[in-house]
Amino acid sequence: METKGKLDPCITRRAFLLGSGAAVASTIFLTSIPGFKGEAIAARVRRYPRKKIGRLSRLKVDEPVLFRYPDNGTGTESILVKLGVPAGGGIGPDGDVVAFNTLCPHMGGPLSAVYKREEKALGPCPFHQSLFDLTRHGMVISGHATESLPQVLLELDGDNIYAVGMIGLIYGRFDNLTRR
Amino acid sequence: MSSPFFQPVDKVPLPPPDAEVFTTACDYCIVACGYKVYRWPANGRNGGSRARENAFGVDFPQGPLGRWISPNQFNQVRANGRLYNIVIVPDHESKVVNVGGDHSIRGGAIAQKVYNPQKPTSDRLKHPMVRVYDVLIPVSWDFALDIFAELSKYVIDNYGESAWALKYYSYQFFENTYALTKLAFRNIGTPAVAQHDHPSIVNSVPGWVDIGYDIFSASYEDFAIADCIYISGTDPYETKTVVWNEWILKGINQNGTKVIMALPRRTQGVAYAEKHGGLWLDVNPGSDTMIHMAIARVILEKGWEDKEFIKEWTNNKWETDSGFGQGTRNTPWQWRTTWGKLETKGFEDWKRWLFSQKESEPGYAAKVAGIDVQKIYRAAEMMAKPLPGGKRPKTSIAIEKGNYWSNNYLNTASIGNLAVIVGAGGRPGRVVTRLGGHQRGGRSGGRYPMLKSPYKFPGRRRHRMDLDRWLEAGHLRFAYVVGATWIQSMCGSAALEDAFRRQTVLNPHRVRTLDKKGIVETLKKRVDTGGMVVVNQDIYLRDPIGSQYADIVLPAATWGEDNFTRCNGERRIRLYQKFYDPPGEAKPDWWIVAQIAKRMGFDGYDWKDSNDVFEESARFSRGSRTDYYELKVLARKKGMKAHDLLKTYGTRGLQCPLLLFDDKLVETKRLHDFNRKFPETGPPGSSIVNKALTSFKTQTGKLNLMKTPWKIWADFYEFMKPRDGEFWVANGRINEIWQSGFDDVDKGRRPYIYQRWPANFLEIHPDDARMLGIESGDLVSVESRRVPVQKDFNLGVKPDDMWFSGLMKRGHIRLASGQFTAVAIVTPAVKRGVVFTNFLFMNQPFNSIAPRVPDPMTMNYRYKIAVGRVRKIGESPYKKDFSQMSFRRRDIA
Repeated sequence: METKGKLDPCITRRAFLLGSGAAVASTIFLTSIPGFKGEAIAARVRRYPRKKIGRLSRLKVDEPVLFRYPDNGTGTESILVKLGVPAGGGIGPDGDVVAFNTLCPHMGGPLSAVYKREEKALGPCPFHQSLFDLTRHGMVISGHATESLPQVLLELDGDNIYAVGMIGLIYGRFDNLTRR
Repeated sequence: MSSPFFQPVDKVPLPPPDAEVFTTACDYCIVACGYKVYRWPANGRNGGSRARENAFGVDFPQGPLGRWISPNQFNQVRANGRLYNIVIVPDHESKVVNVGGDHSIRGGAIAQKVYNPQKPTSDRLKHPMVRVYDVLIPVSWDFALDIFAELSKYVIDNYGESAWALKYYSYQFFENTYALTKLAFRNIGTPAVAQHDHPSIVNSVPGWVDIGYDIFSASYEDFAIADCIYISGTDPYETKTVVWNEWILKGINQNGTKVIMALPRRTQGVAYAEKHGGLWLDVNPGSDTMIHMAIARVILEKGWEDKEFIKEWTNNKWETDSGFGQGTRNTPWQWRTTWGKLETKGFEDWKRWLFSQKESEPGYAAKVAGIDVQKIYRAAEMMAKPLPGGKRPKTSIAIEKGNYWSNNYLNTASIGNLAVIVGAGGRPGRVVTRLGGHQRGGRSGGRYPMLKSPYKFPGRRRHRMDLDRWLEAGHLRFAYVVGATWIQSMCGSAALEDAFRRQTVLNPHRVRTLDKKGIVETLKKRVDTGGMVVVNQDIYLRDPIGSQYADIVLPAATWGEDNFTRCNGERRIRLYQKFYDPPGEAKPDWWIVAQIAKRMGFDGYDWKDSNDVFEESARFSRGSRTDYYELKVLARKKGMKAHDLLKTYGTRGLQCPLLLFDDKLVETKRLHDFNRKFPETGPPGSSIVNKALTSFKTQTGKLNLMKTPWKIWADFYEFMKPRDGEFWVANGRINEIWQSGFDDVDKGRRPYIYQRWPANFLEIHPDDARMLGIESGDLVSVESRRVPVQKDFNLGVKPDDMWFSGLMKRGHIRLASGQFTAVAIVTPAVKRGVVFTNFLFMNQPFNSIAPRVPDPMTMNYRYKIAVGRVRKIGESPYKKDFSQMSFRRRDIA
């Protein structure tokens, strides 16, 4: 499956400016993220920029769109994808729109171009074949990563999709928000 | 990803430049990747993102293949009375094994193994305990050990040493296995000893013993330079992860290696191999021997065999006879050739025999194995057809448990024959090896007292004792269980647990006082009334052996809590350094054994540290495949401890056997290396040049070709085949919880893994599932009411007495029942008619349906041959849960 879009720093900057740091916890689909109390999410999200990454009406099922988050630095390549089936952390009327960082948390292999439509999976990683379940918060289906694929928390405002936080640590970073 | 049990973090501390660094290797699978532990005070400064601000000396963020710390690689420990931060990361500088810092999901998260009272490892055993009124009460070491020693002496004096049993791990470091076997064999002299995965001490690959192949002769680099690898009974992607990632994958991608995999389930590794010119032999469980025979036949018919190698390195009639059939009869070969069924007069004789067997006809073999016959021809081509240009392909053979834990003797002998004719063994890229399970940390401190074993075969052949049957027959009075699950990990586990219960908790003599004398008196009465005393020594309270049956529980220290040594699957020895203190009063096993031995009045246990044990054990390694004697010799010359000398080799370690030339250690890349040259006079000094270094392991140094008559397996196989709606129930290891189950899914100790596998699973083909109304996520039961259990000791007199049909006829088999539940995963990755489940989910083991009738020639259990009925019993909570378990296909390339 080919992944659509390119990593446009202009969109990123504009989206970043839209980010206001407003309280967002209430708009996140908390029910699908068991174990995360509202406050925990809110605290997590408060650290992160709020960034517009796409529009719901433009998404087509099984056609991932690239974006960067939480900044434009190393390791931020991410995909936004409408899976067509409900997914953990999914937004939209069908609860099927999710976003993930695309560096394999095993050794940093690039996963953005290896979306598997039938399995709603990302992988196998071109480095060592790790495979991740996008309906289940990026869980390892089979492979070597010591954490799930980091999931980008999403918020829907009208037709606009915003990235507002992350679950999991981006490969290569020791803090998602420290570029250098 | 989150779950009710796990909230991932989005930052992790970096070690500062002055962090202490310890080298070690992973504690789990045989590959033993090199790891480094960085330790710094918890109240000290963490490292920063610039190169000069952190211990790695690199700028963060890092790019792909960089130096990253995953959140699961961070933890906190106590050492020297202080709290420390630690990160445990694969060694990025490694040039061997896990080149460049590769790792598996298990080792990569090994930092979560260490004891931390704030985390799910908080239930580590911390104090010796004694069971009183069915409650395990903490006591002092002296208290517990006095009872141990007194009861042991009583049992040995009154019931003989055979009533005192040791059930222990074969692998958990040279120091510990040496101490345990020194006590059991050298001092006590009991034959009632078995290791964690067998009912008796066995050769797991007896066919190769007869043919002359060592089981760990290869070097990992051989897998990267082979043209073809036939892998039987395992997928190394799942179970030898980094051998796959760094070596086999390198071969496939850089050398065009064709990988043939024989197993009933399509896995990620199979999918990748197929996509890259390899082949999947989707055999029915237990049918491999025919496939090996048929491939061999095709190779011979085409004239593709390695004629030069066969001429040079196989025994002719005279050579075959020259070592066998004369002199002492007490050799495995002798037991196995009692029936005159296996020995040949050399290659031509074997070839004639092979061609006369219907099992070697490709069409027949393919039908029984349930595969496309073309695959047999294709495999023969890949393994032996000359390459364009006329050169032979370099072919290697690698096997594991699906092969030798189903039809133990015949599978290992027939694949060994295949190896011989393709010229495998002893040359780069042309090796024959097990891929391995646990690491190789076994060192025997004494000889097995074979003559005391009561188990005899027709013709005065003696086997080592089958401990499970000995227990079931009521002959045990004292069982010392060290780091082994025993009950669940043995075949017919439900029936075995009945025996345990009968001899412990159902005996009326149960301890009801904390008075030491009173305890000893009660337990003596139990012993005198046919009961048994159980001592369990482990790092966690094992259920049920520790939690329900043990009278004494002893807390052991483990990986990272003392200095230990061990070899991996290419015979590479490393020092596993101590980097933190064991919890509570936990002590390393060698220390506990020493205290017991001294109390029982035995000499030679005045060890001050684990290095003392290691140095003492070195002598017993001489001439073995893990010979590290010269390490000690050199250390002595340098005035160092052997552990300290080994430490200087870091995560690289040394490949055994080690030789010493002019005060330089010389390693051994591969065994059977017949092109290796030694000085005519051999190495100077104390080095031993074992014959296996430069030839094969037979009396002549040449290989034997063995007959593999299907008849000696047929009666058991016919009985075990599925009937009346039964499925073959295959079982195996999966990547995420392979050799680490006790540290991750057991009791949910590693939340990240536990959310992936919170329950047992059962893979089933969509056609079979539809018929039974089963969907992914449904809870299903698997049950067999005809689990054969060989129930007692019996003497074989007539030739067929010990075969399955003979045992059945003479009433030595009873049929037990066994059952477990699992969450269904519907996937075309398993064959129709076969279901696949995890090999050992502790709370309800697959082994309850595995037949407890060992291979009569070799005493190996046949764990992989089981059948059962599958039924849907409801929906599991994971069916619609986004946070736990995944039902997606694993075999996508």
